[in-house]
Amino acid sequence: MSVSVRTENLCKNFNHVPALSGVSAAFDAGQVHGIIGPNGAGKTTLLRLIKGLLHPTSGDISFTLSGRACPAEQARRQTGYFPQEPSLYPDLSVWEHLEFFRDLYNVPAVEFQRRAQHLLNATEMIPFKDRPAGKLSGGMYKKLGLMCVLLNRPALLLLDEPTIGVDPVSRQELWDLVYQVAGPEMTVILTTSYMDEAERCAKVHILQDGRLLESGAPGQIMQERRVKHFADLFV
Amino acid sequence: MKTIIRPILSIASKETKHIRRDPFTLAVALLLPLLFVWFFGFVINLDYHNIPLLVRDNDQSRSSRELLMQAGAAGYFDVVAVHSPAEAEKALQKNSMKGLLIIPPGFHDNLTRGDVARAQLLVDGSDNTLAALMNMYMQGISAAAQQALAVPRASEPNMIRTRYLFNPELNSRWFIVPALSTVIIGFLAIILTALTVAREWENGSMELLLSTPVRPFEIVLGKLLPYFALSFFDALLVFALALIVFHIPFMGSFLLYLLACTLFIIGSLALGLLISVLTRQQQAAIQFGFAIGLLPSFMFSGFIFPIENMPLFFRWFTGLFPQRWFLSLSRSLFLTEAGFKELAGPFAALFIFMFVMVALAVKKFKTDVEP
Repeated sequence: MSVSVRTENLCKNFNHVPALSGVSAAFDAGQVHGIIGPNGAGKTTLLRLIKGLLHPTSGDISFTLSGRACPAEQARRQTGYFPQEPSLYPDLSVWEHLEFFRDLYNVPAVEFQRRAQHLLNATEMIPFKDRPAGKLSGGMYKKLGLMCVLLNRPALLLLDEPTIGVDPVSRQELWDLVYQVAGPEMTVILTTSYMDEAERCAKVHILQDGRLLESGAPGQIMQERRVKHFADLFV
Repeated sequence: MKTIIRPILSIASKETKHIRRDPFTLAVALLLPLLFVWFFGFVINLDYHNIPLLVRDNDQSRSSRELLMQAGAAGYFDVVAVHSPAEAEKALQKNSMKGLLIIPPGFHDNLTRGDVARAQLLVDGSDNTLAALMNMYMQGISAAAQQALAVPRASEPNMIRTRYLFNPELNSRWFIVPALSTVIIGFLAIILTALTVAREWENGSMELLLSTPVRPFEIVLGKLLPYFALSFFDALLVFALALIVFHIPFMGSFLLYLLACTLFIIGSLALGLLISVLTRQQQAAIQFGFAIGLLPSFMFSGFIFPIENMPLFFRWFTGLFPQRWFLSLSRSLFLTEAGFKELAGPFAALFIFMFVMVALAVKKFKTDVEP
């Protein structure tokens, strides 16, 4: 099952101040998409609109599920969302978090055991599964947040700055986890401030002041702009 | 000097900006004096008037009419004639009447002969302050009636014999302790849940929760359940303490008491959740929780100030607070043998309150992060 997303002339205002202005973008199924741009560009707003946590002022968001148009509600049930500050419950342990999200996502018991073990193995968190979330390191805390979202095996995964504030080793581990679980069918849309992460995406969408400046494969954009490194685009 | 004044003025200016931009603090500072003057001026009235009193005149004589006329004219009582003892008993158990004055046959003859002539005043003793006052008022009225009738002085001048129902010794603990459960449970239940949703909004976990397929009513009910169990345990604890430590008699149906606790607790928990859903901030939720949970428990429930003595508007206004209905049920169930039929009114009010609060908490629960 794969999900694609298309936004048409999407606008979002907060108290008459535009956060997004006429964003039309296509997020094809089974690809990793990066949304990049400076602070305040509207990256988080775009992800929240796709997830349905915000409502557009105008414009449309449409989804396809395995190539067929599908209602937003149905697609959003297949969508996992990892907020920029994934606040967990400090007194609940790693395992208790997984059990809690198992029930919210209604994951069958046998399937849960399989997925949870896989996630704990992939993140090397087995020794910490009884540790309260409040006593995890920054990197482990993020990993736990991601595990909770991935437990549902979403067809569309929205990651809002997943590696911000995380040390380089944990960053790499988080990406390994995403790629390990993603598989060929999962569509991933992420926002990032790290250009090396953006460069690894199949397609990037550059936002500035709420407007979409450019969309395309990183290599293609670098070629068109005649820069050697992706970061040079913003110099 | 300038180096001292400048930072002071700067801090004062910053605080002024905070106050101007915080509508709640501003509202408290400006509206509280008005509210308090209005409230203490109108609601707290220690001169009791229009106490509902049933009368059964079995003598129908000049003397009995004079006594009833004096009772009505003094303004202390709203006199209502009753035609059967069953009717009187029902009204007293429903708590709609505070006393019953029975004038026996031969009252006038005994009085004019200078013999002992006694009417009996049965007073609802579950409110011991009011009961004592009713007795005092009635003694004054009987003296005035005797004077107006110019009857010979009897060997026993007291025309009224008072008997206190439900609390024969006017033990104030019998009055206070059953009402305390209202304050404790009501306040605790509101405060417990007032923080739960606000905490999730403040620490950001709500965004993660809302991104799952869980629905608002599932979140609301899921949050209510454990706090219901906790509050229910508290209710049973207060009940047990009342019986074991304070030796308060429990005359009514325990099942009805449990039903009253259930309705009151669910309604109060849902009210706390509603506050939490609307404020989304722990500090504001606590402030509202105190204002809505604690103040009405003392002021608008009849715990301290009898509802019957309040102006008409406030008598209606207190009806909006579940504390009034639960307190009435608690006192009636502890001290009288009233059944569901007699207590249907307060039960209906608590049920409506519970239903409205749960419905509002679900309806107002936001499933998005729109500001």
